[in-house]
Amino acid sequence: MTPEEIKAAIQATATINLEVYYYWATAIMILIHAGFLMYEMGASRVKHTLASGTKNILAFAFMIPTFFMFGWWIYLAMTAGFIPNFEAGAGGVPWSDAMGPNLQDNASGVFVAAFTLFACTTASILSGAVIERIRMMSFIILAVLLGSVVWVLSASWGWHYDGWMTKSLGYHDFGASGVVHMISGFFALGVLINLGPRIGKFNSDGSANVIKGHSLPMTATGLMLIVVGFFGFLGACVIFPGTAVSFHETMWTNIYGQPTTLSAIVFNTLMAVAGGIIGCYVMTRDPFWMMSGALCGVISAAAGLDLWYPGLAFVVAFLGGLLGPCAAKFIENRGIDDAVGAVAVHGICGVWGLLAVGIFMGGYPPVSETIPAITLWGQVVGIGVMAALGFIPGYVVSLIMKIMGILRASDAVQAAGMDVEVVGDAYPEEIRTEIN
Amino acid sequence: MINSSPITSWEGAGAIFTFAGGGAAFWFWVMAILLIVPLVVALRAEKRAEDEHDKK
Repeated sequence: MTPEEIKAAIQATATINLEVYYYWATAIMILIHAGFLMYEMGASRVKHTLASGTKNILAFAFMIPTFFMFGWWIYLAMTAGFIPNFEAGAGGVPWSDAMGPNLQDNASGVFVAAFTLFACTTASILSGAVIERIRMMSFIILAVLLGSVVWVLSASWGWHYDGWMTKSLGYHDFGASGVVHMISGFFALGVLINLGPRIGKFNSDGSANVIKGHSLPMTATGLMLIVVGFFGFLGACVIFPGTAVSFHETMWTNIYGQPTTLSAIVFNTLMAVAGGIIGCYVMTRDPFWMMSGALCGVISAAAGLDLWYPGLAFVVAFLGGLLGPCAAKFIENRGIDDAVGAVAVHGICGVWGLLAVGIFMGGYPPVSETIPAITLWGQVVGIGVMAALGFIPGYVVSLIMKIMGILRASDAVQAAGMDVEVVGDAYPEEIRTEIN
Repeated sequence: MINSSPITSWEGAGAIFTFAGGGAAFWFWVMAILLIVPLVVALRAEKRAEDEHDKK
């Protein structure tokens, strides 16, 4: 073989490996959705169990075609802000040659798939917060808005080599503390303000009651599945080396083109899981919050998982584990009923994650002249952008739905249980009688 | 049989999906319309549940 033939063979092998890598990362990410499904059903009372599950499954199913229809195009075309670049977005037009089986393109399908699962994760975060009272149709529309439009826009701005936040702020968000978690947490907050609390959540003096889900073991197991799925999620945040679509010939990079390794990611992800669980145990001694603490930890450390010293990742995650339950209590005391603590765990811990990068990651050199170095200022501005971009659409669209009377199920339906809107029973009659 | 193939040979083929040579956008719009159906189904289920339980 000539040197050129050897080089071509190596690159062809790398391309196939890229395809394999993202294919299986996507499969593992589906565990996040399986986990959210168990988590939300377990956190629901018996009479709402199937409706919560149906809602979650439909979010997953709607994200797939809608991300194909316009999500990928938004990601490619909207890097400069709200004005699309049609030339850059051409490959994402849903009937283009790249958006289907193509023997010359091994990358587009697996990249679209991975991003679709990011979108599913984002929509699932909203799903848990609104259980037991939101109407199905309104939820689907809000989930599509969040998963296939809003988060994709944030990713195009701050999770893309050419994004305006990347190029003008040096915004660093490796594992999506902001572009996924803050966006979904603040979107959920906007919806919850208009949706109102579950019946019986608050007393007339404003004090809150604890509404227990029907299966904490199911919820806790679901949360552990989410943790497993996060290894697929965070693995898919890394760019495979040595192909025509890679940033580097021989090294893994983050989504901004900066070199990293899978070892770096796994060092810090494990530390973040542990730190978050232990932080939440210290704060609450509640198994529900301990498992949510794993999420608090990963989300708090996510933005810098490519660069943390593992001990510092643990500390950042531990603080996230302390912060999550406190933030949830603060939100509840404001009269907002977030059934699973999504705003606190994803929104507030996401804020902390971006801030931590700004505080602790000074001095890292940029990868090119077009990207500035990480700064505290850039991260703080990024927090403001993510909070506004998540909150405003969630609040405005849910407010319109509220005015139209299509956001919230009637009190009678809530009292009967949201499962009256779907077919089937979650449990046999004798068990329901005992648990109800 | 509908001829949906965009290729006549596998040699050097690129996009091989049905209607890649023209007409794919039609199926895109069919898909888009099908996504409206479950919204209507959900709306009707909500209304039926409310009619049944609000009366009680």
